[in-house]
Amino acid sequence: MFQNVVATIRRLVGMPDYQGYVDHVRACHPERAVPSEREYYEQYLERRYGAGTSRCC
Amino acid sequence: MRRILWLLIALAGAAGWGMLALHRGETVSAAWLVIAAMGTYLVAYRFYSRFLAQRVFGLDDRRATPAERHNNGCDFVPTTRWVLFGHHFAAIAGAGPLVGPVLAAQFGYLPGTIWLVLGVVLGGAVQDFVILFGSLRRDGKSLGQMAKEEIGPVTGLLAMGAVLAIMIILLAVLALVVVNALKGSPWGVFTIACTIPIAVLMGYWMKVWRPGKTLEASVFGVTMLLLALVAGRYVAESATLAPIFTLTSIQIAGWMIAYGFLASVLPVWMLLCPRDYLSTFMKIGTILLLAIGILVVLPPLKLPALTRFIDGTGPVFAGKLFPFCFITIACGAISGFHALVASGTTPKMLRRESDARMIGYGGMLTESFVAVMALCAAAVLDPGVYFAINAPASVLGGNLQAAAETIRQWGFVVTPEQMNALAGSVGEASLLARTGGAPSLAVGMAQIFSGAFGQGLTALWYHFAIMFEALFILTTVDTGTRVGRFMLQELGSHVWKPLGRTSWYPSIIITSAVVVAGWGYFLVQGVMDPLGGINSLWPLFGISNQLLAAIALCVGTTILIKSGKARYSWVTLVPLAWLLLVTLTAGYQKVFSPLPKLGFLAHAALVEAQVAAGTAVPNAARLIFNDRLDAVVAGGFMLVVLLVVIMSLREWLLVLAGRKPVRMSETPFVQTAETA
Repeated sequence: MFQNVVATIRRLVGMPDYQGYVDHVRACHPERAVPSEREYYEQYLERRYGAGTSRCC
Repeated sequence: MRRILWLLIALAGAAGWGMLALHRGETVSAAWLVIAAMGTYLVAYRFYSRFLAQRVFGLDDRRATPAERHNNGCDFVPTTRWVLFGHHFAAIAGAGPLVGPVLAAQFGYLPGTIWLVLGVVLGGAVQDFVILFGSLRRDGKSLGQMAKEEIGPVTGLLAMGAVLAIMIILLAVLALVVVNALKGSPWGVFTIACTIPIAVLMGYWMKVWRPGKTLEASVFGVTMLLLALVAGRYVAESATLAPIFTLTSIQIAGWMIAYGFLASVLPVWMLLCPRDYLSTFMKIGTILLLAIGILVVLPPLKLPALTRFIDGTGPVFAGKLFPFCFITIACGAISGFHALVASGTTPKMLRRESDARMIGYGGMLTESFVAVMALCAAAVLDPGVYFAINAPASVLGGNLQAAAETIRQWGFVVTPEQMNALAGSVGEASLLARTGGAPSLAVGMAQIFSGAFGQGLTALWYHFAIMFEALFILTTVDTGTRVGRFMLQELGSHVWKPLGRTSWYPSIIITSAVVVAGWGYFLVQGVMDPLGGINSLWPLFGISNQLLAAIALCVGTTILIKSGKARYSWVTLVPLAWLLLVTLTAGYQKVFSPLPKLGFLAHAALVEAQVAAGTAVPNAARLIFNDRLDAVVAGGFMLVVLLVVIMSLREWLLVLAGRKPVRMSETPFVQTAETA
């Protein structure tokens, strides 16, 4: 229950969902290495604020 | 049973409109405005958006979405529609829908309400929906890519250049709103200044101390922010601290320009990302609070339905009801910027095609409702107070007595004592001529909040509202500068390759400086403008935003025609035609109107004549140059929109006449694996 609320808030604000990603990789790509939370956060920053994103007034 | 329910909703909406239309000369409860808007939204959502989803777009739940086909656990993630709705709404809601309706309240509450509600139902929500649909069927491609692939490479390039130019004007005008909200306000400046160290602390927390723990850092950040808000009162009352945080317009503008540059150059984890979280939390929280406040208090609307300023003589901005009401309220009714969000992250997260209806169409209806609430917050003010806050000082006269007399001549009543008492109650030295919309919105919100959640805290609520507006405008300024920098780097790489390397410091510094100089120039122009700047810059922003919407609707129409739905293309052609009429008329008037108050060129000529006649006009050469620059910018926007429309029209005719093979870039059908 608490985990769901936290995941929902993360999605709403557009925060990284590390646990969700880990679950996804374990379920769908078991051959891949799972990044650490720090690595995942750094990749997330690049995706969210890197070139090719846009914002609204 | 269902039918009876919808009949009742439709009747309630109609009753709301009836009450608004018939109650002239006496105050109407905001309840009627809310009922009219909600009734119309619900009926439009139930019937029109279903028609769009099923007949026009043919949304198909058997078709796998990009989120399902490319699911990578990061950006392509199938997301529950309610969560995605919130995410999409938080991305499209900005300062635009809050400021525009407050400014347009100079015509009275009725024109703004009608345009907000009808505009969104037939225009804005359709635009967001059609672009979301187009991008959904193209693996989440952006608006620029779709323009390039569906209409032509020149259109794609024009769209990209237009986005950059619009961004510059948008950042300047929003920054000006913040300058006007914070000038001479130590409380406001202190609170906003505190957001920077708070954000840096949060940044270190999330990156260094406890990597990735964004939520706990945000809880800390929001708590600190609220403490800073409360502490602001003691700063404002302290004889030693207050002067340090009391800044003039030009000082605030300078700090903002420096901040925008730093935010674009520094790594994102340090400033940008934590501020982004803070402002999203504040935005969602405050909008919910405002909705609850309005529904609990249901305040009477003191502003008349229509004011005499529909004739174009208004002090807040120049120009008649048509076309300027439809330019001033851009976001909230129809906003081209949403096309960028609807073709950004959202299409990559849809779980089912049919969810696009609630998120694309429904999300925009919600934004329109936020704009209606902002209009309510402005309309709960006494009209005299509204004009005392929103008219520029040069029109009102230098002091409270002169201002009260000017406003009396307009037919409204406000006394100097009333203004002093109001300023005192919100903890400000003066509320006279605080143009830009933010202060009057904050006064209105403070009245509503203290009505709903307890009296006696008016000053705190006022500064809460100012902090909330300034916080997320500054977030637009910093992310916008960065986005502008990336665009410039991409465009610049065509000229000199190394410029395109997005993490090469010399390129970062050069392009950031160019973008900041661009909006900074217009910001300083606005600050020094004797009419307050909002007067000239806000219409320019409105025109540019509607221009982007016109480009988006051209792309949408092309998609419909190419997919063999030409008989339904009126759904995008009707709002497109209206936008063209409004944008081109307004643009033409801003450039060529013979009235110096309205036309840029006429104003330049007036200043020139004054100088020739020997009148001392401060900064005359600068004023004349700025007028001409604004005229060129407005003319350029009009030229771009005409070019895009002509090229789209050519494409449509060629396709319809069968003289050009239909080449769509829609991805082929893949059956979904999900069991519905």
